[in-house]
Amino acid sequence: MTLQSVAAAAEPFIPGRARSEIAKKAFFYAVIILVSLIFFVPFLWTLITSFKTIPDSVNVTLIPHPWTTSAWHAIWTQYDFKTFIKNSLFLAVVVTVCNIFLSGLGGYAFARLKFPGRELLFLLVLGTLMVPDQLRLIPVFVMLTNWHLIGNFSGYILINLVTATNLFFMRQYFSTIPKDFEEAAKLDGAGYFKTFYRVMLPLALPAISALVILQFQGTWNDFFWPLILFGQGSPSHYTVQLGLAELNFSYSTLWPEICVGSIVAILPILAIFLAFQRYFVSGVVSAGVKG
Amino acid sequence: MTRAGGHPVQHMATASQAAPAPRASLMGARLREAGWGYGFVAVPIAVFGLFFIYPFGYAIYISFFHWGILGKQSGGTGTFNYHSVLHDPVFHTALKNVGEYTLGVVPLEMALGLSLALVINQKIRGRNFFRSAFYFPSIASSVAITTIALYIFNSDGLFNRIIGSHTPWFSTASTVTWAIVGLNSWTTSGTIMLFYLAALQSISTDVYEAAALDNTGAWRTFWKITFPLLRPAHFFVLVVFGIGALKVFDQQFIVSGGGGGPNYSTTVPVFYIYRKAFTSFDFGAAAAAGVIYFVIIFALTIVQRLTVGRQEAV
Amino acid sequence: MRKRLGVILGLLIAVVLLAATAQAGTRGAKVTNVTLAGWSSGPDEDTLLNQVIDQFNKTHPTIHATFSVINGDYPTAMTARFAAHNPPDVFYVDSSVAGAWAQQGVLQPLNSFISSSKYNTKAFFPSLLGAFEVGKTVYGFPKDWSPLAMEINKGMLGQAGGKAPTNWATLQSVAQTMASKNVVPGGKPICLSADWARMLAFIYQGGGSLTNLTSPAAQAAVSFYVGLLNKGLAATPDKLGAGWCGEALGKGKAAIIFEGNWVLPFMKSTYPNVQYGVFPMIKDKTGGNLAFTVSYSMAKDASNKPAAWTLLSWLTGPVGQKLWVSKGLALPSRSDVKAIGGRQAFLSAAPYAHGWGFGNPNFANAYTVMNNDLNAVISGGKSVSSMLSDVASALKG
Repeated sequence: MTLQSVAAAAEPFIPGRARSEIAKKAFFYAVIILVSLIFFVPFLWTLITSFKTIPDSVNVTLIPHPWTTSAWHAIWTQYDFKTFIKNSLFLAVVVTVCNIFLSGLGGYAFARLKFPGRELLFLLVLGTLMVPDQLRLIPVFVMLTNWHLIGNFSGYILINLVTATNLFFMRQYFSTIPKDFEEAAKLDGAGYFKTFYRVMLPLALPAISALVILQFQGTWNDFFWPLILFGQGSPSHYTVQLGLAELNFSYSTLWPEICVGSIVAILPILAIFLAFQRYFVSGVVSAGVKG
Repeated sequence: MTRAGGHPVQHMATASQAAPAPRASLMGARLREAGWGYGFVAVPIAVFGLFFIYPFGYAIYISFFHWGILGKQSGGTGTFNYHSVLHDPVFHTALKNVGEYTLGVVPLEMALGLSLALVINQKIRGRNFFRSAFYFPSIASSVAITTIALYIFNSDGLFNRIIGSHTPWFSTASTVTWAIVGLNSWTTSGTIMLFYLAALQSISTDVYEAAALDNTGAWRTFWKITFPLLRPAHFFVLVVFGIGALKVFDQQFIVSGGGGGPNYSTTVPVFYIYRKAFTSFDFGAAAAAGVIYFVIIFALTIVQRLTVGRQEAV
Repeated sequence: MRKRLGVILGLLIAVVLLAATAQAGTRGAKVTNVTLAGWSSGPDEDTLLNQVIDQFNKTHPTIHATFSVINGDYPTAMTARFAAHNPPDVFYVDSSVAGAWAQQGVLQPLNSFISSSKYNTKAFFPSLLGAFEVGKTVYGFPKDWSPLAMEINKGMLGQAGGKAPTNWATLQSVAQTMASKNVVPGGKPICLSADWARMLAFIYQGGGSLTNLTSPAAQAAVSFYVGLLNKGLAATPDKLGAGWCGEALGKGKAAIIFEGNWVLPFMKSTYPNVQYGVFPMIKDKTGGNLAFTVSYSMAKDASNKPAAWTLLSWLTGPVGQKLWVSKGLALPSRSDVKAIGGRQAFLSAAPYAHGWGFGNPNFANAYTVMNNDLNAVISGGKSVSSMLSDVASALKG
């Protein structure tokens, strides 16, 4: 039951209204189709350019002339994109899973558990958002070097175990869930962790889905920290973004190859998005409350 | 109401209602709750402490010295770094640029994100398709998107061919900030859409049903009911993306080729810090700039907390 | 049970010993690992450098050199590694930052290695080697260099009389002819970058210098450069729809550009059908050009300095450098290595080439001031003299 259908059902029938309803609907669809098109155009260009030759890639044309798959071939053979994708996948999955768990745990605690200094600690969490990466680069890098955590993935995973953004979001989300659930769990004798794990976490599915998509993507697209922490050794450690950077030379940009690389880079995120977006369908939480 | 576990609950409930809890176990319960609270936040706080708070403390420390790549340099202790940064016209320009940028991008991307979320939240046909389409710009990395944008907004690129102009939007001092505002609101609107979508799910449909029974129109329902109920989301988006806007760097860096121009128009505070550290190797000044900027952002966040985030009492 | 354990243990020890001896047998003496780091300017360069490294490894069995490319913000990545005392052993240093890195103490002075191995530094062109010297201390050897030259679209030049300009006056008149005959439709005759890395050459041509920027000669040179833009005879690349002047030449939006050696491979791969000629840089009161060069330097914190020295001195020695410049991607920095054919227009600049950023630790910072101010001057918001005094004080630090 959505807002519109309920409202429509409640209104008394007025003849002639049907036509204006259709006109309104048509206009509405026209607008969002136009918006979608605008959102899609740059990617269409990327796809088209991936089939062009280098000299042709600089033209603003919609049809490659000549049409070639040499860029796709080059990406697959000359550059080790299979390894890059494997590495990116590994990092994205590990970081995302850790983040969901830790930010869920922390977010729940900040939202619902009382402990002294909670507000101050939360302010500290928010404070981390205000420290730019450029400022903390050297101290963090020196620390990780001394602990021998650079040159491989461990340093990167460690500093990305949990982010303030994710924790903050989970806290906000948990604060909107009615307390009835926890009270019921408490009466059932569930401890704090069980309440969190069995009751609250499943209720936060929409939030978790959002974070899965966003964290996966954030890690997948990360360039700066991977470059600094493990992107200066052997290419066997490269992620997709580091691999793409290989194609960006100062004076001879290989546009078709970059386009291929970008498309290859985008596909897994798209897959994750398509897989998790269904959990945003309205009614998931209301079912829990009503049923 | 379904309960987890399915144990027979009634007599337990009655029992706890009959006898008042003794003081000692109340204290114990509070202690236990606090213990669990600390336990739950232990790992996040450790990560934040090590990789954000400590480096920031380090920055505060070195801001009082002349500090090079390999450490402290001669020149004594003092507030000279703060003095030089606060009196640097380039720093003032940076603050002005980022102020303009933030005031432009945050309302725009919030409005866009919320609108898209509201559209998607309804039962429209092809919902999955539109959701993917709206999210698409957010998927690509900033480097990829900026490169594509530079191409499209070239002086004789696609955009100018359509509107018949010749302005190179990203390399003209007067237009570059607004070009980046446009670019970034386009790419972050999808992300904000996701946050608002998730938040919209937590509003139970009873609320909408009640509004419909009262014959409330769609716009009134949104403005008087939905919008206020989204307060935790507004606070979140405002803080996170407001701070994000104040920390903007990538697009300005790529568009200006690392120079911060033309004529300092793409110099923003984070760029200023970056330059002081990695071009001039004046880490003391970079740290001072970082501390100053942190204080500014912190003050703004407190203001947001006191206004929008007020109802957080649990 | 115990007997079986004993047998297994014995076998294990035997295997380990065997492996150790096998290892020693194949390798002979101990192999030292040396890391080399740099950035990449193109796929051709990458392949060539790897070939050069392979050759080194073949001829030096006790040292194993590995090259790793840093595909991103090279100075930032290197700074982080310097700070963590974990740098690569040998690495690229651009001349514009050499002074600053030397001052920060992250580069290894090479004088003791030079004297102990009797390395001949006299073969290096003095102005190039000078980029990496502070006083008498040598901090690196130039691996190659490139000056600026003038590239002109042959067809468009033909339509304007066919004679390439040789000085400021002829530059202006040729451009004038091109403009009046509309030889460059949709573009401008000349592409000039809003960049001191191009304009400085003109300052030298006018008789000015970096150490005396407020002189009338420097003022006149800048005024000439900016004047071409204001007169409509030239435009900056972004106004021509290009990222840099090479792209403008390729797109046919400019006829005359001033770029270095790097424009050749770019045009060949991206705009192979554009016919253009390479001409020597113009002169005016005197010849004036810029020398862009990069050194191989050693880290102060390098783990094995003698091995690093062997690599460094070989790469910049006659054998290594000959291999490196064999594809014509850059010019040799040594007088005993010959450049490949067809580079005469660049080589003729050698006597007039001034180092880009040489020796000044404040140069990288001053460069930011330079270009931001130049943009302001071009758009009319700042006066030439005010920019020159800004830059002069930025250079002083």
